Amino acid sequence: MANAMLHQSVGTLQLLGNSGTHCEIRNNSVKLIPKGFKVEVGVSKRGIYSSGEGKLGVIRASASQTSVVDPVLAPSNNGIHESRTKSNEVALILIRHGESLWNEKNLFTGCVDVPLTKKGVEEAIEAGRRISNIPVDMIYTSALIRAQMTAMLAMTQHRRKKVSIIMHNESEQAKAWSQIYSEETIKQSVPVITAWQLNERMYGGLQGLNKQETAERFGKEKVHEWRRSYDIPPPNGESLEMCAQRAVAYFKDNIEPQLQSGKNVMIAAHGNSLRSIIMYLDKLTSQEVISLELSTGIPMLYIFKEENFIRRGSPVAPTETGVYAYTRGLAQYRQKLDEMLN
Amino acid sequence: MATNVMLQQAAGTLQLLSSCGIHFRVGNNSVRFPPKDLRAKRGSNCFGEKEFSVIQASALFPSNEESLKKSNEAALILIRHGESLWNEKNLFTGCVDVPLTHKGAGEAIEAGKRISNIPVDVIFTSVLIRAQMTAMLAMTQHRHKKVPIFIHDENEQARLWSQIHSEDAIKQSIPVITAWKLNERMYGELQGLNKQETAYRFGKEKVHDWRRSYDIPPPNGESLEMCARRAVAYFKDEIEPQLLSGKNVMIAAHGNSLRSIIMYLDKLTTQEVISLELSTGIPMLYIFKEGKFTRRGSPIAPTEAGVYAYTTRLAQYRQKLDEMLH
Repeated sequence: MANAMLHQSVGTLQLLGNSGTHCEIRNNSVKLIPKGFKVEVGVSKRGIYSSGEGKLGVIRASASQTSVVDPVLAPSNNGIHESRTKSNEVALILIRHGESLWNEKNLFTGCVDVPLTKKGVEEAIEAGRRISNIPVDMIYTSALIRAQMTAMLAMTQHRRKKVSIIMHNESEQAKAWSQIYSEETIKQSVPVITAWQLNERMYGGLQGLNKQETAERFGKEKVHEWRRSYDIPPPNGESLEMCAQRAVAYFKDNIEPQLQSGKNVMIAAHGNSLRSIIMYLDKLTSQEVISLELSTGIPMLYIFKEENFIRRGSPVAPTETGVYAYTRGLAQYRQKLDEMLN
Repeated sequence: MATNVMLQQAAGTLQLLSSCGIHFRVGNNSVRFPPKDLRAKRGSNCFGEKEFSVIQASALFPSNEESLKKSNEAALILIRHGESLWNEKNLFTGCVDVPLTHKGAGEAIEAGKRISNIPVDVIFTSVLIRAQMTAMLAMTQHRHKKVPIFIHDENEQARLWSQIHSEDAIKQSIPVITAWKLNERMYGELQGLNKQETAYRFGKEKVHDWRRSYDIPPPNGESLEMCARRAVAYFKDEIEPQLLSGKNVMIAAHGNSLRSIIMYLDKLTTQEVISLELSTGIPMLYIFKEGKFTRRGSPIAPTEAGVYAYTTRLAQYRQKLDEMLH
């Protein structure tokens, strides 16, 4: 299936398919066409994009579709973030953290707060490169350091240069002590909200045990059940179903409203909490979610538009030739970044 | 300035090294621990530096891990985090929870290399991510492969959910305790402002007062004295007992909370503490022994020629690491 991506250059339109063949677009040919325009597109002469898999549809790109706006793009505010209530399209990035010290030792981790290994740190930075051109207005992480570090390390790669700031609400004092007294500074910040509901599935009596110990203590079959079933919890632990319940509830109550109000969101969390959310986004069955494996450190992009979540796969690293942007809105955002930083 | 004498034991002989600005390398494989009593000879070292006293080394040859614990000596490492995103932008940060820049992450890893051979049994950090990340990034470089694990006791569920059910895993872990009392000095209404804005809003002299005085707080903020009060109280109540029980401790925190602690360790005056500047990302080592803190400077990176170990016990620890990993 061809995903047609729109890329605007001065007066012409290049159409790219990403059915397995990738092509690179140079930045400097892209400019934003400011007002009402209608574009009709055909296949470009060079036929650079597709090895013939699937067809490319004609795209009508009239001005009414340019309602995708990132505050960065509104010309009047010099790239400063402003509330964007009119946008009908936002980005949702999901990142599963990389290798932790107990992954390395093959121990069941669950909610034990174990940090990243050197490798996990690098995975986070790599992930950051892949999303360096995708807008992020808010970040949600679990209460565990491996997800928080993943988010913060990834953001060190972001081109936009806004500053992630972790919110503290654990007490009155924490709230008062973390206050910021400059409007300008607040505008340049990306709030980071930590939530235990985004934690990894709690593995109860298995936490800290290695695969061998568990097989000895509980028997191989039982262990297989806990790991691979949807609703059977380990002793004093959560089943995948229980994990999904609290993770999806949190997503619906706290994150979806942000997306609806036009904020681009990044979630840095864990294998089970993220699968649970993806189960909701992609409307998967419990069978499907059990066999869903999320790569570590590889971000997953969704576009939220008109109450629908459209999966856009994994953004490629900037050094790889690839699709330039997933939607026009994202292309514009990247363009703005290029202009700002050059 | 006193001479810091370092003991390095080699098979059957004793080499004495001074660290008064001259460093030299000692090969690892020549180090061995003679099993019995060894008495050091008195004298000056080869560089004609000051004399040092005789060390009775009989008590310092534990035959196993257990007696290392009975040791009356513990290491205390202090690490100030590196560059944060607001440092880069020159904004007053205080207790705003701003993370590290890419450079700050690099500084943390560098710091970790410097302490990769120093034992760590428990870690204390502030509740701010820049200190926590510094500690965790540093520990990725540690040779002993124990696993730092953050302790969660913010509520009953957090405690329950983070429980570990393997004795072995617990033994191989290093508890990480987070404490707001180790936070950076709270800068009140200056938080988020840049140096220029503050000068406009409050006047240059006032700002200078707040930054450089001991007891004048910015509006709704802490003075250095207030910061010191809660940081040192925490250190005495929670950290010193760990050292007394023989645990090696690492503290990853901030400029002002660490100076405050150093003020206590080194018995500095308020004047001295105001002019004390801690390098970022460069660990400071103290040896705690018989109720006293002895400053040992900054451990150097393993690639630099330098003193092998600061005390016999640390030399033994490193030796043990070498044996374990070969």
